[in-house]
Amino acid sequence: MKFLLFKSPLIHCFLIFSFSVFTSFSALSATAESDNDSNIAKLSFERLSSALRELNFSTSFVVVKNNQAEPYHWLHGIAKSTTSNNQVELEILALLNGPRRDILRIDNTVSYIEPEYAPYSITSSHISGPIPAVFGQDISVLENNYHFVSVGRSRVLGRIAQLIRIVPKGTHRFGYWVWLDQQSGLLLKLAIITRKGQLLEQTQFTHLEITDDLSEHLKQLQLTDLPKVIDITAKQEETELAWQVSWLPDGFKQIKSNRHRINTSKQAVEFMLFNDGLVDVSVYVNPSKDKQRVIEFAYDGATLVLNQIINNVEVSVVGKIPAATAKKIANSVRFIRDVEHLN
Amino acid sequence: MSESKFETISSLVDNYRVTDHESEQAIDDMLKDEHLSTTWRHYQLIGDVIRDEISPGLQLDLSTKIADALQGEPTILAPNRVVDKVSPNTFKAKIIQLVKPFGQLAIAASAAGLMIVGVQQNTADNNEIITPNQIVQTKPLAGFANPVSFNYQQPVKTQKQAVHDQRIEQQRRFQALLSDHQQQVKLSAAKINENSNTKLESDNSLGNQSDKKIIN
Repeated sequence: MKFLLFKSPLIHCFLIFSFSVFTSFSALSATAESDNDSNIAKLSFERLSSALRELNFSTSFVVVKNNQAEPYHWLHGIAKSTTSNNQVELEILALLNGPRRDILRIDNTVSYIEPEYAPYSITSSHISGPIPAVFGQDISVLENNYHFVSVGRSRVLGRIAQLIRIVPKGTHRFGYWVWLDQQSGLLLKLAIITRKGQLLEQTQFTHLEITDDLSEHLKQLQLTDLPKVIDITAKQEETELAWQVSWLPDGFKQIKSNRHRINTSKQAVEFMLFNDGLVDVSVYVNPSKDKQRVIEFAYDGATLVLNQIINNVEVSVVGKIPAATAKKIANSVRFIRDVEHLN
Repeated sequence: MSESKFETISSLVDNYRVTDHESEQAIDDMLKDEHLSTTWRHYQLIGDVIRDEISPGLQLDLSTKIADALQGEPTILAPNRVVDKVSPNTFKAKIIQLVKPFGQLAIAASAAGLMIVGVQQNTADNNEIITPNQIVQTKPLAGFANPVSFNYQQPVKTQKQAVHDQRIEQQRRFQALLSDHQQQVKLSAAKINENSNTKLESDNSLGNQSDKKIIN
């Protein structure tokens, strides 16, 4: 008969230690405790960020939205550069169902392989996929708009996980619940939750392997020539449009504005992209042959698509935001006639 | 009750320096004596607390709740409000697990259990907002099905078909916007092409992060 309980015979030392920690905590006031919670949360995010950048991991996860699930395979590793003494980051993110959608990264070159476009690369330090890019960066950029709260521990993917909530300040955003592996600091689960506590979308990791050596796939990636880097700096430039968005939740900044055609419908649109560090919001404006159409919207997981026509102008808003926020943004679009005359 | 019996139990809990004979004797005693078996449970609980493995009072594992709620649901996937049917007692018996289960199958099953989640029905909003019941399909089937048959023209569209056409049109519009949004977000991550600068930056940040790791 065997009882697998205490791995260490040093339990008595642990007892004394934990009691002294306990008493010191209980001496703190309530506010200090909540400060401490947010400090734990911040430290955990710093740990997550470095784990995502420094570890060799191979992991699978499923993004669950509405009645569908998207399974992904995600690999990351650090290798010695073939040309210099520096280390390079290697990363692969592959959607496993349906047509191939792969994202490859070697350091600051990110390649997208998708059915809609010929493969292309851009210069970027992170891939843009279902995991928010800010998790691999400095999370403190979110502090103006979100609180971080360390809630407690639970069991996720057979591991002990620390749950941290990213709670929005104000009512215009969704909250994020993040479960982090106590051992490695990596992400185990992510959920996007409304203020009323309704679950909209979640990402559940189903497999996690951390290794000392680089995986075979990543070794092959390092030897691969990535597609040509496209120059989009010209397109990124701010185009002056005949309208502006006069209301956005605090903390959203304009990332870019342009005129382009939507790939599938060939509809010409004027476009602005906004971001608050965590959430991207797109606003589209185009003339329409219809005079009016009431507001319609649908959620794809947590991503809202909202669309309306007022006086032959179609306005659409897309992003992971509540419907009330999107509606307010759509109704705040104002035209600046003078700009039109100048052009 | 002799002090030495408690000590033996404590050692057993720690799996520390107990002879087979002693442990057999102690287990027999525990089975007979309620006081001793309570002691055993208390020691285990203390151990659990120290190792931070106690089941949290807050049940945050949504999968079980969803699975439970689904049990009571009919198979129709109409996205009505999910009935909150959480089992009243979420305390789990603490079972000593000799083998850590990491079966992929169990995990896959739990992932499948998570799949069905109701669509947000925004009742709090004004009535002018029409909430569509369907869900945007992120990956449409190869090409869109043509809603109107090509060799047969109906003279007057029925109300039902008009609504159907509208729905298809709406789906198409939403789908186009959604994929364009994702594309624009991807492209917005692109930096201005100055390799030397960006390289330096990333090297610095790596250095900082490894410092932080040591603190942790």
